[in-house]
Amino acid sequence: MAERDRVLVIGAGVAGLSCARELVSAGRRVAVLDRARGVGGRCATRRVAEQAVDLGPAFLHGSAPAFLEALLAVPAARVPGWPLAVHGAGRPCQPEAFRAGEQRLAFAEGLSAFPRHLATGLDVHLGARVERLEFRGGTRAVLEGGEVREAGTLVLALAPEQAQRLLEGVADAPPAVRTAHALLDTSRSDPSLALAALYQPDREAPPWHVWYPETSDVLQIVSHDSSKRGAPPFLALVYQARPRWSRQHADDPAWPERMLEEAGRLLGEWALRPAHRHPHRWRYARTDWASELAAPLLLQLEGGGRMGLCGDRFSPGGGIEAAWISGRELARRILAEEVA
Amino acid sequence: MNVGGDALRALVERDRDHECDGLGAARVCVRVVAVARLPTRFGNFELVGFWNNRDAKEHVAMVHGDVVGASDVPVRVHSECLTGDVMGSLRCDCRDQLTEGLRTIAAAPRGVLLYLRQEGRGIGLLNKIRAYALQEQGLDTVEANEALGFRDDERDYAVAAHMLRSLSIRSVDLITNNPEKIRQLTQHGVNVAGRIPHVIPPNDFNRFYLETKARRSGHLIDVAEKRLAEQSDPVIVEGMPGR
Repeated sequence: MAERDRVLVIGAGVAGLSCARELVSAGRRVAVLDRARGVGGRCATRRVAEQAVDLGPAFLHGSAPAFLEALLAVPAARVPGWPLAVHGAGRPCQPEAFRAGEQRLAFAEGLSAFPRHLATGLDVHLGARVERLEFRGGTRAVLEGGEVREAGTLVLALAPEQAQRLLEGVADAPPAVRTAHALLDTSRSDPSLALAALYQPDREAPPWHVWYPETSDVLQIVSHDSSKRGAPPFLALVYQARPRWSRQHADDPAWPERMLEEAGRLLGEWALRPAHRHPHRWRYARTDWASELAAPLLLQLEGGGRMGLCGDRFSPGGGIEAAWISGRELARRILAEEVA
Repeated sequence: MNVGGDALRALVERDRDHECDGLGAARVCVRVVAVARLPTRFGNFELVGFWNNRDAKEHVAMVHGDVVGASDVPVRVHSECLTGDVMGSLRCDCRDQLTEGLRTIAAAPRGVLLYLRQEGRGIGLLNKIRAYALQEQGLDTVEANEALGFRDDERDYAVAAHMLRSLSIRSVDLITNNPEKIRQLTQHGVNVAGRIPHVIPPNDFNRFYLETKARRSGHLIDVAEKRLAEQSDPVIVEGMPGR
């Protein structure tokens, strides 16, 4: 197969996997790199005290028929309609959490079942951190440790800030790279500090699946995670902090304690002392509502190479659905322009 | 050097973390999202784009001069009217009101025209066409217009008030002939320091429009009340009866 047909996807989140899958099904040779130990990026499930806990989005939601079909193809036990019991409407200063006509669901084993399914059969390289990109005399990614990977088409399926960092490091950047850089510069991600807290099961479970507190400056979402599981040993709640608070406290080592204090204020004393906890700092958790772009980007580089950008920023609506759609759309553009 | 533009661009960064309790019953909140220069036939403006928390309508402000932190800023509130603003419809006077508003502001040292998007999405424009069709059958009533969704004034004023607040404007001189507009904006916390009459100079187009209206009933303001009120301002045209 010709060199120019090879595609290198950086980022094994939902967007990168969706892009790679579409390309592979059209017969392209695709390698996917990710610095993490597992696939899925922010669509993340961790085991805390042996119990699965979703640390990124609490549920999947969308309305595009193809996306819903892709969710139904996942060989995992579904929790349809979750969250069925939604408490609170959040602070007034945010859009309604649920859009009309959307379907929602979770997976009993955790939401990472979706990206793991997408990755099935793909050539995914984990623990592979890209150090820099080169665009002169071919398109290359140089990995930590010195390994060099060449490709006709390079796809950046990363948070915009992460893509930005790679593009900033390009020596003597060609015009297309500067274009991508300028475009990414117009938008920004919101961070989110997430804390999984597991409580002894004798604690009475709250009557809601998801709570959007209306009076908290700290917490944006409280997800009753264990209500997605079959017979969980612990009552699991996942607290996610509001963007502003997350930005202000990202470098405060005591942020998990501060979030628990707020949980105690909102839920009662008992919430202060979980049996197990697992904090996670998402620096680039979600697309700012005002930063959405309409479509992925495919740029021609001098010398015949191409660079694509996709991710939840690159499709209206944001979230996992936007990530999946943008990856697939980018793959289709890569294929269409080859034929042309 | 573009001091006014830089101050507006700083608002984008400020608003990324904006949180508030919203204005009005709908608890409307807007954020400054994008700013760019927009030279127009009326003069040089900065176009400021807003996000809001309630719908997908992209409201904008046309800003002339340094308004951030300023007092007594001339402000015109204009509601989008595709048929009038763009197509030059003679069923309304929106285009004259829009162009005269921009002209007035461009001639002043500073000023703002808030352009509230009413027809961008949803059924706003389609129902307006339906309302026109009803008019053709002589069925133009306030009740029918209400059934067609004309319209949520309260939310509009809350949006306008929050946009002015987002632009850090201390007080405004409202360009209007409509005391209700002043009352509503004041209620939503806007400091209305004064009023500038919105007078439309006569030209071939509004002369035709006014003559048409005069033929139909002979009384300017009465006709305006029976028609679809795209803009809630009564019209004052220089040198025409009704002034």
